[in-house]
Amino acid sequence: MLAIHAVLLPLLSFGMLTVVRNVQQEIFTDHVRIYSRVFADMLQSNGQLADDERIVEALDSSILGGRSVYAVFQVGNRRLLSSIMNEYDAEKFVEDFSFGEHGDDVYYLAAPLVVGNTMAVLELGFDEVPTLLAIQSARRTILTIVMVYLIVTVLLAVLVSDRVSSPLQRLRRDSHKIASGDYTRKMSVDSEINEIRELTDDLEHMRSTLVGINARLEGEIASREKAEAERRKAETHLRHMHRLQSIGTLAGGVAHEFNNVLLPILLYTDLALEDLPDDSPSRPNLERILKLANRAKGLSEQILTFGRPSGEAMEVHSNVAPVLDEALSMVRALIPASIDIQVEIQRPLGPLECDPNELQQLVVNLCSNAYKAIKKGDGRIQVSAESFDVTPDYVKKHPRLEVGRYVRVTVADNGEGMDSATIDRMFDPFFSTRDVGKGTGLGLSVVHGIVAKHSGDIAVSSEVEIGTTIDVYLPQVEVSE
Amino acid sequence: MTRVIIIDDEEDIRVVLKEIFIRAGFDVAVASDGNEGLNLIRETGADLVITDIIMPGSDGVETAYDIRMEFPSTKIIVMSGGGNTGPVDYEPSAIATNAYLASAEAVGADMTITKPFDREELIKAARELTGH
Repeated sequence: MLAIHAVLLPLLSFGMLTVVRNVQQEIFTDHVRIYSRVFADMLQSNGQLADDERIVEALDSSILGGRSVYAVFQVGNRRLLSSIMNEYDAEKFVEDFSFGEHGDDVYYLAAPLVVGNTMAVLELGFDEVPTLLAIQSARRTILTIVMVYLIVTVLLAVLVSDRVSSPLQRLRRDSHKIASGDYTRKMSVDSEINEIRELTDDLEHMRSTLVGINARLEGEIASREKAEAERRKAETHLRHMHRLQSIGTLAGGVAHEFNNVLLPILLYTDLALEDLPDDSPSRPNLERILKLANRAKGLSEQILTFGRPSGEAMEVHSNVAPVLDEALSMVRALIPASIDIQVEIQRPLGPLECDPNELQQLVVNLCSNAYKAIKKGDGRIQVSAESFDVTPDYVKKHPRLEVGRYVRVTVADNGEGMDSATIDRMFDPFFSTRDVGKGTGLGLSVVHGIVAKHSGDIAVSSEVEIGTTIDVYLPQVEVSE
Repeated sequence: MTRVIIIDDEEDIRVVLKEIFIRAGFDVAVASDGNEGLNLIRETGADLVITDIIMPGSDGVETAYDIRMEFPSTKIIVMSGGGNTGPVDYEPSAIATNAYLASAEAVGADMTITKPFDREELIKAARELTGH
């Protein structure tokens, strides 16, 4: 806009100045030519020249009247000068053919006239200065107008840009922010110009739509990530269960074959013992075989407990606290008195649909494992059992549980703890951290089998050198009183 | 004399059980599968049949059923090896020993016993069933 003005305005003013100068000059030259002709004609009448005195008078009056600054009349060799002029002034005459020639500020003009046979020339000089001044003043006026126009234009432009550009620039800034990911700022630009307000409203609408879409997408992504994490967790659990089940099946198959071998060993040994005389040196050996075969039988039974599928008849026990008491008295008998066993059992506890023998085995195995994890002198095992409400919040942390009431049996020890690799495998059959021959590696897999059979779940938390806490959750049943 | 027929595909088990029953004063014959056992009963009769539950050919449940149908007064003891039997790719719950034993009892077995068992346990059960 300003650039157009910068080019147009000088051109325009130059053109205007040229026109004004030409018009002024034309007016001037027309005027002096007409004047000169009229003056010349005035000096003759009826083919007779006026007398010299009258001519000089006329020349004088022209200069005195301000019409001209130079006036000479030449007839033949005779030069008549205005009495106000001197010879020196008369020498200056050089005829001009256009305004401003010769730089003498005087426009010299010769008007010839023929009277009879005589040639005469009226030489007149007109002051160019007033016309030059008029042109100059016109130029000043034009330049002033142009300057004022320019100033007004610039001021207007600044004002307009303040009202148009600055809201637009703010819109641009806000749009940039949105483009760079900051959706949160509301777009609000106040302007008196309708279009800008509408544009702002449209952009704000777009922004709020974007914010909505963005929030929805973020929510969707988050929920998908969550679902994915849950799915992975469930998958891991399922894989683990599957592996345990396969091992259980395998263990069951092995046990079957094993028992078919074990039975004849037991029976043959029995028969052989029967045949031997009481003092036979082979008798203690055979008795030892029998004892070992019986130990193998116990092992096989343990494998079967793990491998046994659920679906066996279980009964509802309204209070399982006495069952746990009995298990704990067994535990106390098994574990040295140097280990401090703290027990806290809620009474009554239940109702629970369970196999009491298996419940006891579960507690005994957990306590036995806790005891075996204690290597230092000041060992402590804490056993607690209570009714526990699993809330929806709790399910988020333990996704394998369902909302409802459970019996929670907790066995905690201050033993050596486990690293995560050990925790991963702790329920695998035949997995043991103890020396070969010191443990079957079946205790916790039996626990796992029992918990699975009771549709429960196990949570393990352990820290190396600090201890291990195992929570067993068994779902309570609703019993109509 | 009370006649016992032992059916098991494992030779060691057949032999040792035969010895035990002979020493306990029974008249004993053995068969290695259900069909052979059934033919033996048809030929010589039996007061008591002790059969393994998992065998090639006709298994213990089938055998118990056939015997019960044909010889209603013959007593039947079904033995199981315990655990999940058969190939490991079987559905574990479908072929559970307990389910097997339950179905054996359902088709007419008088008693089920889980291997490995004691000599006295078996003889006591046999005497109870036969009155020997």
